[in-house]
Amino acid sequence: MKRTTAHRLTSFGVLVVLAALWQLASILMPYESVPGEPMIPGWQILVTRTFLSLADYWQGGLGVPSVAQGGPRTYAGAALAVLSNSWDTSLRLFTGLTLGVAVGLVAGLAVSWSKWSRRIVALPAQIIRTFPMLALIPMFQLWFGATFLGMALFVAFAVGVIFFTGTVNAVGNVSDIHVDYARTQGASRIQIYRSVILPAMFPELRSSILLSLGTAWTAVIAAEFLGAQTGLGQIIVFAQYFGYVGRMFLVALFLLFYAAITYALFERASRRLTEWMPRELATPDRYGAP
Amino acid sequence: MAEVELRNVGQFFRRSGGALVEAVADVSLVIRSHEFVCLIGPSGCGKTTLLQLVAGLTPASQGQISVDGAAIAGPSPERGLVFQRDSVFPWMRTIDNVSYGLKCRGVEKTKRIEIARQYLRQVGLGDVERSWPRELSGGMLKRVAVATVFANSPRVLLMDEPFAALDYVTKLQLHQLLLTLWEQHRPTVLFVTHDVDEAMLLADRIVVMKEGRVVDDRKITLARRRTVESLALPEAVAHKEVLLRHLGLGELVQDRTAPL
Ligand SMILES: Nc1ncnc2c1ncn2[C@@H]1O[C@H](COP(=O)(O)OP(=O)(O)O)[C@@H](O)[C@H]1O
Ligand SMILES: [Mg+2]
Repeated sequence: MKRTTAHRLTSFGVLVVLAALWQLASILMPYESVPGEPMIPGWQILVTRTFLSLADYWQGGLGVPSVAQGGPRTYAGAALAVLSNSWDTSLRLFTGLTLGVAVGLVAGLAVSWSKWSRRIVALPAQIIRTFPMLALIPMFQLWFGATFLGMALFVAFAVGVIFFTGTVNAVGNVSDIHVDYARTQGASRIQIYRSVILPAMFPELRSSILLSLGTAWTAVIAAEFLGAQTGLGQIIVFAQYFGYVGRMFLVALFLLFYAAITYALFERASRRLTEWMPRELATPDRYGAP
Repeated sequence: MAEVELRNVGQFFRRSGGALVEAVADVSLVIRSHEFVCLIGPSGCGKTTLLQLVAGLTPASQGQISVDGAAIAGPSPERGLVFQRDSVFPWMRTIDNVSYGLKCRGVEKTKRIEIARQYLRQVGLGDVERSWPRELSGGMLKRVAVATVFANSPRVLLMDEPFAALDYVTKLQLHQLLLTLWEQHRPTVLFVTHDVDEAMLLADRIVVMKEGRVVDDRKITLARRRTVESLALPEAVAHKEVLLRHLGLGELVQDRTAPL
């Protein structure tokens, strides 16, 4: 318990130091991207002017008129803009993530059913895994347009590939002795999958899960870069167009925060599933955060 | 009743280099019901392979294996196997490990927990039924494996150097435990070891393998439970001398003229 508190304090300290370094940089390098827009905006600007400017992305409603309709920039509007755009992005992300995990896992298990199909698929799967997924976004765009479906499917595809290859690998690495032990006790093929293969591959699959969480965030933001009407990725693209470094930085901070939350949620959800593991397997540091 | 018969059993493996290895060569053996047979031989002589064949984990390249006259087809809980390495599932609590085979065969939960508890108590692990395997010592894990295999009420019990990695005292305790369970349930036992003293303590009969073949097969008629004294009787010493010479340890034996 004491150690985790110490860890938390250290992490918090690191964050404070990074924030201070950013502030220092903003003082030492007072350049501007466009007149009036600092290249490195300090915190006093970020939490006031920059945050307020996000109100531009609020479409109006809930008693807060949009800036486009002539309303003033308010903190309420800015907060609503962040919330609604985050909601849109998250919906695309989790739809894609769920679909990708389900399809990748089921396909991976199906291929692993026979030794032959596993061998046939192993090499192409490895090659696809190293393929730069982002190169395919324009293609998805042409197929589906800048729609919810297109973006969710792209996330599903990127996550699915990771999960599929991760599953095939993990099944291949399950030690024969446990499978044989189950067989000598009368376990059927299905029972072996459920009670041996799935739990045995979970430690290795966890790294795939963490990896796909990171990939899912990257994929959804990248998909939003191209023509999305809402979402955090779309805010970044517009900001870049006008040289608004502050807005880009602020959105990036929100993304960092969300990624940290998804990671923590996963850790909490998987705690019961990792209870059995020897400590060195169960510590997340070994696989790295997304 | 469970008589195990091996007729001209052989097993080939292809080494990664491509060469063909004959791990088990033309083994014919009949193990009578309730008999406790120890299979002894130097490392690499095919003991594990033979056990896996009888377990049905790998089909034999040649010959037939049958139990009570019926050819075996794949693994079965009636031929329980205790592995050389730790095979206990690390993701199941002790009690779930012991009741796993019963669960696979659809035994109802309260019933299978009751059976598992009874065996856990009998191997002296009544108080760790909710523990994870990572919390148990090597000796305790072996006790779990023994409880598990007996919970499946096997007619044939196959053991592959089960106690080889244990410390001396733990090993001797587990021998006594195994004998108690065997006397109660009387499965036919094929127990692989490379430890001559262990074989002399446990076996009705000792089969010696060398390079895949059976080279000796001797009855041990010493009265049970064997003690330090009975294992020092001339009859026991004579067996031990022959076995040591089979293992290439002739220099430990005074009388080098006795026939093998
Ligand atoms: N799966 C396998 N593939 C190739 N060779 C094997 C395999 N299993 C065993 N062998 C070979 O068969 C021989 C007997 O092995 P094993 O039965 O494990 O011996 P023991 O248990 O008596 O030490 C050894 O030469 C070993 O290298
Ligand atoms: Mg062996």
